[in-house]
Formats: sequence, C-alpha cells, structure tokens
Amino acid sequence: MMGHSAIGVLLVVICALLEGIGQVFLKKSVLGAVRWYLWISSGVVILFIETMIYSEALLFLDVGAAYAISSLNLISVTFMSQCLLREKVTRMRWIGVCLIFIGVSLVAARA
Amino acid sequence: MNLLPRVSDILNGILTARKRPKLDFDPNRPVDKADSMSVKRNFPIRLAAGLLLAILIDTALQLVWKTAVSSLPNDGSPWLNLQAALHSPLFLFVIFLMACQFFNWLMVLGKADLSYAQPVTSLSYVAVFCLSVLYLKEATDLIQIAGILFVVAGVWFISQTDHVTQSKEREG
Repeated sequence: MMGHSAIGVLLVVICALLEGIGQVFLKKSVLGAVRWYLWISSGVVILFIETMIYSEALLFLDVGAAYAISSLNLISVTFMSQCLLREKVTRMRWIGVCLIFIGVSLVAARA
Repeated sequence: MNLLPRVSDILNGILTARKRPKLDFDPNRPVDKADSMSVKRNFPIRLAAGLLLAILIDTALQLVWKTAVSSLPNDGSPWLNLQAALHSPLFLFVIFLMACQFFNWLMVLGKADLSYAQPVTSLSYVAVFCLSVLYLKEATDLIQIAGILFVVAGVWFISQTDHVTQSKEREG
C-alpha cells in the first residue's frame, strides 16, 4: 500500500513541475514572442501530459491528498515566473503565495 | 534563453504605455481627486472579469473532475483511459470546460503577471469548499475553516501587489 501512494505522490509532484513549465510557455506566447505559436502549442502539449498524469495519480491517491500536494503548483508557478519570466515577485507576493499554499494544504488534507 | 531580452523590451513597452508608477509625477498633469484612485482605476475591468470567470470554471472543473475520473475503468494504460474518456459525456463536458478555461486564461495572461493571476485563481478552493458545505452538506471542521481563511488572506496579499510588474533586466 505504501508503494501505491508513493507512486501517486511522485506523479502529483511531476504534475506540479509540468504545470510551472506549461504556464510559463503560455505566458511567453502572449508576451508577443515571434514564434508564439510554438510556445502556445508546446505549452498545451505539456499541460495535456500533466492532465493525463494527474488523472492517473487520482487512481493512486484519494482526492484530498492529491489536492494537498497539487497546491505545490502555486510554488512551482511562482518560482518559475520569477526565474524564467523575470516577473518581480515581491515579498508581499511570496507571503500571499505561502499563505494560500498553507491554506489549501489545510483544507485539502481534511477532504 | 536569448529570448529574454526581447521579452523584457515588450514588457517595458506595455508598461510604459499603460501604466505609470505612482511616484512618477507628470508636472503638466492637472491634479484631480481621481488621482488618489489611480491604482483602482488602472485595474482593467476585463482582467477582473477574466479572473472571476477563471475561478468559476475552475470551481466547476474541480467538482466534475473527480466524478469523471472515477467513472472510468481504473485499469489499463492512459491511452485506453483516453479512449474510454472520449465516449463519456461527463468527460466531454470536462474537455469543454477546459477549452473555455484555456482561452479565458490566455486573455488573463495577456493582462497580468503569471505570478499574480495564478494565485488569485486559488479562490476556486474557497468556492469549492463553500459549495460542498452549503449544498452537499459535507461536514467541516475548524482546521478547514482556518485553511480557507489562510487562502483568503493570501489572495488579499497578492491583490496588494501590482498586477503587471516590470522586468528587472533593463532597469538602471
């Protein structure tokens, strides 16, 4: 049983990373990049793969646990916006993200 | 990676065209009462509507998703699951919602930072929670309510930051 849920956790963590990359690609496409269609299509492919993996993960984990771990998406997306898109993530914004992360984990852990 | 300077040029262009920082006073501009409201006034209504729509669709998706997944046979490869999914009306509805979500999301990203828009859509967790407590009569406890308050507080913090930030690269 432990191995079963460990696979689920691993899948959801992979989803969080893919979400970060996929969202950065989508944002790139609307920033006016010359090859925007390449950004958008690779973003869609990445998010599609993420969706497939997430639906697999739900077969290994119950939905509450999956939600709780997928709140890592927030951290992953914020971190990648800062590093790859050079968005100014101020301390205020990080505080907000961390509060939401804690909040979502608390809610989801009991779902 | 060599795309980054160009991206920052574009961002700078968008920013200077659309919004001046509060400290950047133009001496020729007449001072009026509305100045104190400038932050609120500069928040595009289409961005607000887009964010709201994103939250609503996300809420619907979260509620339908689990039902749709558990209606599938849970054996076989992802590709077999995909085939089964294409014959399930619930799954087709999910795909429709995702398409709406996608185009709305691109519109939102065109108007706001990714690191601003993404956390704000976490309000969908609050919506899902309220719907399941009010309509599905699910039991709740103090920890969950505390979690919801954390999410709301977090979104408040995010909303206090600028929805579009300047790239650091070309400053100074």
